[in-house]
Amino acid sequence: MTNRFLLAGAALTAATALASPAFAQSVLRLDEVAVGELDPAKASDYADSILIFNAYDTLVLPKQGEPGHEPHLASGWEVDGAVYTFNLRDGVTFQSGNPLRADDVVYSLERMQALGQGLSHLFGGIEAEAVDETTVRFILEQTYAPFIASLIRLPIVDKTLAEENATPDDAWAEVFMSANGAGSGAYVVTSHNPQAETRMEVNEDYFLPIDDSAPDEVQLKYSLEAATVRTLLAQGEHDISSQWLPPEVMRALANDGAQLLTESGTGAFYIKLNTAKPPLDDVNCRLALVNAFDYGTALQMVAITDDVSSGSAPTGAIPVGMFGSNPADQILTRDLDAARAYLDDCPTAPADWDLEISWIAEVPLEERFSLLMQANFAELGISSQIETLPWALFTERVANPESTPHISQIFVNAVTGDPDTLLYGMYHSSTPGTWQSPEYLNDPEVDAALEAGRRGPGEDDREAAYTDLNDRLMELAPTIYGYDRQSVFVASDRVSVPALSDPEMAFGVDGMGFSFRLIEMIE
Amino acid sequence: MSSVLRILLRRLGISVIVLIGVSMLIFAIARIIPGDPARIALGPNATAEQVAAIRAEMHLDEPIVAQYGYFVADLMRGDLGDSLYTNRPVVTDIVEFLPATLELVIVAGIMMVSFGLPLGILAARHRGRWPDHVVRILTLLTVSAPSFVWAVILMLLFAFYLPLFPVAGRLDDAYDIARVTGFLTVDTLIARDLRAFLDALHHLVLPAVALALSGIGQAARLTRANMVETYDKPYIEMAQAYGFSPSRIARRYAFKPSLIPSLTIIGLDFAAMLGNAFLVEAVFAWPGLSRYGVAVILRKDLNAIMGTVLVIALTFLVVNIIVDLMIAFLNPRIRHSTRGAS
Repeated sequence: MTNRFLLAGAALTAATALASPAFAQSVLRLDEVAVGELDPAKASDYADSILIFNAYDTLVLPKQGEPGHEPHLASGWEVDGAVYTFNLRDGVTFQSGNPLRADDVVYSLERMQALGQGLSHLFGGIEAEAVDETTVRFILEQTYAPFIASLIRLPIVDKTLAEENATPDDAWAEVFMSANGAGSGAYVVTSHNPQAETRMEVNEDYFLPIDDSAPDEVQLKYSLEAATVRTLLAQGEHDISSQWLPPEVMRALANDGAQLLTESGTGAFYIKLNTAKPPLDDVNCRLALVNAFDYGTALQMVAITDDVSSGSAPTGAIPVGMFGSNPADQILTRDLDAARAYLDDCPTAPADWDLEISWIAEVPLEERFSLLMQANFAELGISSQIETLPWALFTERVANPESTPHISQIFVNAVTGDPDTLLYGMYHSSTPGTWQSPEYLNDPEVDAALEAGRRGPGEDDREAAYTDLNDRLMELAPTIYGYDRQSVFVASDRVSVPALSDPEMAFGVDGMGFSFRLIEMIE
Repeated sequence: MSSVLRILLRRLGISVIVLIGVSMLIFAIARIIPGDPARIALGPNATAEQVAAIRAEMHLDEPIVAQYGYFVADLMRGDLGDSLYTNRPVVTDIVEFLPATLELVIVAGIMMVSFGLPLGILAARHRGRWPDHVVRILTLLTVSAPSFVWAVILMLLFAFYLPLFPVAGRLDDAYDIARVTGFLTVDTLIARDLRAFLDALHHLVLPAVALALSGIGQAARLTRANMVETYDKPYIEMAQAYGFSPSRIARRYAFKPSLIPSLTIIGLDFAAMLGNAFLVEAVFAWPGLSRYGVAVILRKDLNAIMGTVLVIALTFLVVNIIVDLMIAFLNPRIRHSTRGAS
């Protein structure tokens, strides 16, 4: 019986191995964390960004390898104070075959505002009108210099198709848009299961040329386990991992010959100090912590190989490469003597501190940072307790300053690549009590700099405003700037992704490096 | 009314009460988990007004008793609400994910019975000798490690080092099989695609073995223990005295009475696999309901939590009823005691 069973097993294996068909087309296989939200008015996470940047187009795109934006669906634009007028590119059609018109742009904005989810907060106080079929005008309630940057988060929806699929109970076609693409993007969604997998294929009628080496088909799988990704990559059955693989798995794969892709310049790891809670309501107490933190060890903790790391050395409040950031060589370092000097000026004796160092339960790396801080601060005689907070509980705790821990650890990134979307929500006094702002900072100079950064109008004005802001934040020390974040992905040698391997081709926006039309399949 | 029908009706009545109890309990527990489901669903950048609107839409501002009332009223219409996690009706999600888990659990259950019981019989028949020792050591190994450990070990052995089986998923990407039942082994046969059917079986082997191993060990050990006890009964001694063959004694006189307690445990194990499948599904990227259930709990997706737990509870109850009926069928004393009690 045993022999018969073994024979049957071998026969099954052999039969299915022979039965496995070969792909006729080039297929790109990658993974991200579930869920994949396909509705452009609800998308906000990394997986969503990958989907939206490929299934939809926007009026503008960030320039590759340099600051600024260039026309995409628009052929150009004019700015008159708070009024922006865009001319649409000729000859663009949606995947449905419907032509792109100004009405579609207006509909996309109104739909985003009406649903009020995802990144809709970027589009408050804005009205749009179709001047004619190919001209659309945005009227802002007040001047907002990063408006052009925020347009990369306004995917243009095929109004005709959406309205065809709307119902009296579903005026904005949410059911349809959660399962189907309705854009003009370079890739067409062929199937979508938000928890398991999305499949896309190249849009043969795309308005821009797509190189033959770009993948014909893409399979984006969700929430694969690290062991599974490692095995799939080793077997040649997977091409690009998510950024959430444990560093040791990335290291092992890199040692086996996999390439490491990187995306940087959009965010940082922030260790936030509650400035409304004693003893951290005193600037000298905060500066003692900022100087006692061991930045060098922190960087070692996120290193993957000798050359690639999930972080780069911090220089201040603003990641290197953004408006107002300090030069890359002006890195923050530990200075225990300075820490002791600030501690002498702190009104609370170290023995009386009893800091609460919190970490988000879903992010194990933060526990290691908690232990590092506990050890660093203990050298100053400061006692502390480590507290684990699930994300859901953390967002409740930070709703008021009393329940907000002394120290919180958060990754924040600029969703549009502009420092406004990174810093305003963190430091402006009108936005306290959110996951981004457990510092409860209330400083008129900081508010003024943030508003000047929004007002612009020129890039030099904005640069000056953010430089002032950076300096002021370093004086106030509401945050320990842990490291500038760099997302790392493991990829097989079957693919080449210039936007994630060549800084001259990088977009500076999370997820946009995964524009599939710019990826080359090598086999 | 036959005694089996009476047992069935009684079990169905109890099941309804259990389901109501489970729904009330989970409804309350889901609301005690920290975190505002509206805030979690809308994401960190949502405004207070947006959060308030969703809370009102979900009746979260009303007393919990009223919320339960809305839930029951919707449930009566077959509406479990929308999932905040996938932005789809919960019923759609369950219909999509449940067949994958059921298919996995059924195959694992078949393996549990097909290998666990024969191994137990083998060990009992040769108790105290080397086949018994080998089975006991092997089964101890299988029960001492949880399913997800076996999943990783099997994947490393038979997909990584010896690439005999696929690593992930339910079917090779190149097959395009129309969904009819959601059970790929069935749908491939309906499509009359033998190669796809073999491929679906091929994909099932590692996850099903990982899920079944612990149950195989438990079933074997239980069967062996019960049979060893039965072998000491006087009627076995009499059968031996009559000169019946050892295989006939094992099959007809030792195994059947030992099966009844084993069957109860196997039934419970089978139902428990629905929940335990989570980590196996995660390792093998199996798009099933258990994985979905854990994801929605972590996101405090209230409607989806209720839907998933109710479906798993219902499946648990159905399996238990089937096991009870089988035991009643096998054991006349139970049938008769039921008749007497009624």
